Amino acid sequence: MTFVEKVCVLGAGSTKYGKLSESIADITTQASVSAIESAKISPKDIQASYISNVFGVADKQVHLGPVLMSRLGIPEKPSLTIESACGSGSVSFREAYANVAAGFYDCLLVTGVEKVTHTGTEWTTTYFAYCSDFFYEGQAGASFPGLFASMARAYLTEFDATEEDFAAVAVKNHDNGILNPKAHMQKKITIDDVMNSAVVASPLKLFDCCPFSDGASSVILCSEKFAKENGGDYIEVIGSGRGGSPAALQGREHLTTIPSTKIAVADAYKMAGITAKDIDFAEVHDCFTIAEIVDTEDLGFFDKGQGVQAVREGRTKLNSDISINPSGGLKSKGHPIGATGVGQVVEVFDQLTGKAGARTVKDAKIGLTHNFGATGASCAVHIFQSV
Amino acid sequence: MTIEEQLIEYAKQGKLLAHKCTSCGHLHLSTAYYCSKCGSKGFDDNVLEGTGSVATYTIITVAPAGFEKYTPYAFVVLQVDNTDLRISGFMPNIATPDDLPVGTKAKITGFDDRGIIIEKQ
Repeated sequence: MTFVEKVCVLGAGSTKYGKLSESIADITTQASVSAIESAKISPKDIQASYISNVFGVADKQVHLGPVLMSRLGIPEKPSLTIESACGSGSVSFREAYANVAAGFYDCLLVTGVEKVTHTGTEWTTTYFAYCSDFFYEGQAGASFPGLFASMARAYLTEFDATEEDFAAVAVKNHDNGILNPKAHMQKKITIDDVMNSAVVASPLKLFDCCPFSDGASSVILCSEKFAKENGGDYIEVIGSGRGGSPAALQGREHLTTIPSTKIAVADAYKMAGITAKDIDFAEVHDCFTIAEIVDTEDLGFFDKGQGVQAVREGRTKLNSDISINPSGGLKSKGHPIGATGVGQVVEVFDQLTGKAGARTVKDAKIGLTHNFGATGASCAVHIFQSV
Repeated sequence: MTIEEQLIEYAKQGKLLAHKCTSCGHLHLSTAYYCSKCGSKGFDDNVLEGTGSVATYTIITVAPAGFEKYTPYAFVVLQVDNTDLRISGFMPNIATPDDLPVGTKAKITGFDDRGIIIEKQ
């Protein structure tokens, strides 16, 4: 691969995540406006937009790009929508990144959005199951909690882990989310709260699961030259990787490892010329507590089977060995699925430009985002550096 | 019959239709169109006994639409006997994890609106 340009994130913004009353078009626009203002640019500087969204149909609005561009006063600018289940945001970011790196565009708007909570738990559960390999999984009654519960059961069987260990991930992420004004679940919880919450899909309980959230996140991605000439604070993208896994869990060699994560992060580390040891903090895809443990192993932060020990020892807490999900993660910040991957970049931007307030990772220079679709059938990893 | 319909017809007879690569011998579920190992397209049908052991499972209490009436039920991943293949399915009549330790012998018994049905042997 030949890269013409260094790529930077010039501005970033999110709506609050949670149950929102505004329409999908409204929140898409609100997040985009906050990114444009953060970047100190005019909408006229934007050459194209990349929108990530999965269930626009649930709020009666697909083809979101032209609606957004019209509201931003740039209806003549092109846009497209990218769907890759819960990984849509990072995949969209990656496609925009590739276009700027190749010198095709100088300044792009990347906005992710989801609006589903009005459909209720049963239908949201149903829609999300459409992200599985439906013939083998959704059709047989597998919900997403059920698929990750299957991974959790395999992990409990294979390694020295307990359900209380999983619960500790939720407790940590809620502790971080309390410090994030835009988080969906700003509530302190205990191990007992998790253990006593209703079983959704054994062994996972309600507080092992991220909430269904509405929300939108947006970033401005541009060439280094554009960032220097036009804007305010920016950070550099130093690594980008993507990978895939067999769509159904049954096709994976190991039930406690997500192949796409390992492929994506290997590419991203190679491009950045660094290793896992160089990462100061990471926003990882903790849609369920088991997922964060598996992620931290697949990303190389801990050996296989040791992720659970790291959580037990508090090594992933804010400002410990490696801060995992300082934003509160999907678990506490919330998981508007089309927005999540972009929202992770917003958090890294805030962290590396001194805007993260009480949840600041001290002396952080390098942050990583990890976001996957479904049970990790698709994945993108990005690495960022302060300038 | 489509590829999916063929697999379903065998499942209704308690069997699993697999595809064996004519080039390298790698075994796949019959929904594979190309060999994931060598990239070849030719397959021979291999009809397997739908028996195996539970590789992992979950018992679902909050179900997708259409499955509420079946709760609690298990979604299981079955390790198919004498192969590297696994197949997922719906297992009825399971209430607690004690009913279904990993390793439990189970088999494909049918296909209906709950997908591939797998029951304890």
